[in-house]
Amino acid sequence: MDIKDLRTLIKIVTTTDISEFEWEQGEERIVIRRGQFVAPAPVVAAAPVAIAPAASVVSAGTPTAPAQAAVETVDDGFDTVESPIVGTFYRAPSPDSDNYVEVGSIVEKGQTLCIIEAMKLMNEVEADFKCRIVKILKENAQPVEYGDPLFLVEPI
Amino acid sequence: MTGQDARTTILTLFRNTGDSFVSGAQISRALGVSRTAVWKKIEQLRLLGYAIEAVPSKGYRLQVTPDVLLPSEVKAGLDTELIGREVVYCAETDSTNLRAHELGKAGALEGTVVLADSQTAGKGRLGRKWCSPAGVNLYASVLVRPPVAPRYASQLTFLSAAAVARAVAEIGDLPVTVKWPNDVLVHGRKVAGLLNELDAETERIHYLVLGIGVNINMDSDQFPEDLRYPATSMMLECGRTLSRRAFACCLLRHLDSLYALYLARGFEPVLAAWQEYFDLTGRIVEVDYQDRRVIGCVKGLGNDGALLLELSDGSPERVLAGDVRPL
Repeated sequence: MDIKDLRTLIKIVTTTDISEFEWEQGEERIVIRRGQFVAPAPVVAAAPVAIAPAASVVSAGTPTAPAQAAVETVDDGFDTVESPIVGTFYRAPSPDSDNYVEVGSIVEKGQTLCIIEAMKLMNEVEADFKCRIVKILKENAQPVEYGDPLFLVEPI
Repeated sequence: MTGQDARTTILTLFRNTGDSFVSGAQISRALGVSRTAVWKKIEQLRLLGYAIEAVPSKGYRLQVTPDVLLPSEVKAGLDTELIGREVVYCAETDSTNLRAHELGKAGALEGTVVLADSQTAGKGRLGRKWCSPAGVNLYASVLVRPPVAPRYASQLTFLSAAAVARAVAEIGDLPVTVKWPNDVLVHGRKVAGLLNELDAETERIHYLVLGIGVNINMDSDQFPEDLRYPATSMMLECGRTLSRRAFACCLLRHLDSLYALYLARGFEPVLAAWQEYFDLTGRIVEVDYQDRRVIGCVKGLGNDGALLLELSDGSPERVLAGDVRPL
């Protein structure tokens, strides 16, 4: 099933009262779940993964080429936190402190995720909403550009 | 009326009276408290170092004003537009930057200044400590809300460094240089440190805290032993004790005029003011990026303030962060 068909399918399902929809043909399996659902963290082929509050979808393709479509679809449910300035990315307040966050950390709105330093100006990047850290996209002490994605997060 | 307000009222009365006596009755009317309460306030001022003469039937007369950074004392010496229109004083606090953050989040006016006599957790870059003993130095944080995008906020680093350099040169009559981008040096030793912190959304600055620590009258035995960079104080360099209050007023005046210049004409004239103190062009420096080091020759500054180096293999390097040390 291609993305266009998938989109049509989601539209159809979300206009009804159906809360869960499963469809299987050959090696392709589609699961659509609606409403609140806490997803298992990793993206695994042929396992249903769904997030986003309204309607969400998972397409797990053939065992040989599963990741691409799945990751893309899943990514759509995630947000990225971007760098507000050009500077250096720091994961901790000082070299010998613990990192502000790790993959899997649940952070509250307003909690610090990292520091971006530019010319001795320290900018604490905070979470705009409660979320779970899915992926940390930059290495500590590396330069980042304005607008670079720093974290992949899942709103909670 | 808070303790600080009452002190301000009394000190203003003294100031307006000049060399004559202020009667206890006059003070008690101004404060709306009893004569006994006035006596208590006078005692508090004496504890702060004010020498106040008390003569029965005449009243009180101020003889010696100590070098304290009480808002009334600082504001009396200020003629600034924006910077210092609110002055908050703490005898002791953890960090003036933390106080300024609280004020910034609570919506305090642009130009609010937090001063402390001592800090118990003075902040340096990346969790380092800023040595902050009582009675000798200046620990200040200035709250500004520049109407620019967050990506330009680091321009304010050069602004506060230039203001500090001007004040150190003026009050101490000392030869001052700046080490990129923000340390202020006298004879190659660090006399002031700056730590600026930003609170912003993607496209809008909520506020910026300009943290400024200046070693004014600190003696050589008051410096910590594990300094990362050789340090000094203005007193050690010029051989006499300086007025912290005069320094604070001078610094706030330079911050005020440079900030007005920045708002009116942008970053270029501010960077030019900073460059008057920059002497590393053509020098070989080492930059510590925390996870690696590079060595290069300073070629100058980008128009955004970035330090431009030429590495030994001839390749260019734009430095936006890191510790710079001349070799």
